[in-house]
Amino acid sequence: MPNETVSMPDLSDLEAHSLSVSQLTLKRGEFVLREDISFTLNPGDALFLTGRNGSGKTTLLRTLAGFLPQAGGEIALGEGGDPAELIAWLGHTDGLKPNETLRKSLRFWAGLAGQPGSVIMPVLKALDIGHLIDRPPARLSRGQQRRGAMARLAVMNRPFWLMDEPAGPLDRAGRERLGELVAWHRGRGGIVLAATHQDLDWPGAQRLELGGGL
Amino acid sequence: MTGFWRILGREAGLAWAGGGGAAGPTAFFLACITLGPLAIGAENETLISVGPGIMGISALLAVLQFGERSFADDFFDGTLELYALSNISLPVLAFAKVMGQALATLWALPLIGALGGMMYGLNAGEVLVVFCGLSAAIPALALVAGFASALSAGVRRGGLLISLIAIPMMIPVLVFAAGAGRAALDGDYDRAWATVLLTLAVSLGTMALMPFGIAAAMRSRLG
Repeated sequence: MPNETVSMPDLSDLEAHSLSVSQLTLKRGEFVLREDISFTLNPGDALFLTGRNGSGKTTLLRTLAGFLPQAGGEIALGEGGDPAELIAWLGHTDGLKPNETLRKSLRFWAGLAGQPGSVIMPVLKALDIGHLIDRPPARLSRGQQRRGAMARLAVMNRPFWLMDEPAGPLDRAGRERLGELVAWHRGRGGIVLAATHQDLDWPGAQRLELGGGL
Repeated sequence: MTGFWRILGREAGLAWAGGGGAAGPTAFFLACITLGPLAIGAENETLISVGPGIMGISALLAVLQFGERSFADDFFDGTLELYALSNISLPVLAFAKVMGQALATLWALPLIGALGGMMYGLNAGEVLVVFCGLSAAIPALALVAGFASALSAGVRRGGLLISLIAIPMMIPVLVFAAGAGRAALDGDYDRAWATVLLTLAVSLGTMALMPFGIAAAMRSRLG
């Protein structure tokens, strides 16, 4: 769903990648959370991970990102290369340093991912935090910090977005901005996975219910 | 290689701006060497003979201070995950991070060590050996502290763990760095400079190997 209200920067084209998970086992320590998880996502797809607290949403995301060892099954993330370099991560915490302004922080992450600094301002404007670019996160609200972290996802220009409760601290307007950002990313052929408890309205998003729980 | 410099620059900047830069370890170092004569007594001979040793121990303790914050913040604010997914291999990233932090926070220690040497009554040649010995020792000390810091990131009262893990690994560096100063006191400058070079060798070896240990520690903290 392309959006008209926001002008996003021209980033270099995303390579088309897909994600296929088959018969994955989720383990936390010795405890098997869930077995036999299978799904496939193609460019432009989005997937909600839902389920009760403790059902393994975060564990699944962390396993896909390679933070947790794979306990069984197969993950095929991207076509060749290091999967870690295809993933943009938004966890429970925003990955911001309290005294590092958004400008410095985003310039660092964009630069590390090989993107020019000129992409930063349009993304911040699209998230309605352009005026906060020189403010250190210590003086931003939780929702504003989260928007800053969302901006990092966008400027890194990676195909897979893994998000853990992205809408947690966001207000209604923030959730709309998040939806627009996700739609923009999917429109470019990106793939989005989000663990969430909230009802987010992302057109055409698939849903994976992780039942059970502790 | 540009990624290396980006990380190093960012970490140096963060340590400089957010962590108070060199103020913490420097103040700690100064306090140690100032308290020394108060506890030991102010006889010239005694102070000269303990001088190099006190400088070495104070530097070691000051570097431990540096380890307390090194990786703990990254664990709590989510930077650790982002670093693990960066396009830079983790050992290179770990090396760049620790060196950046060390540059911003520990650069003053050899200078304070030289100043302390003068306070304790060492002559110019001995002060120079102490200065060079500390300069050669600090990269190794910083990497060991970084390793302990990465291992204990996210652990409550991690400072205790850092001391227990790092101090035994720092012993060889301390022995060489302080030994160089003691050899200079004996007037044996050949041995003094050879010991400075040995300290440097230990530092270089640590720089080559420790980043892999730090990277493994970072990975283990992600799980």
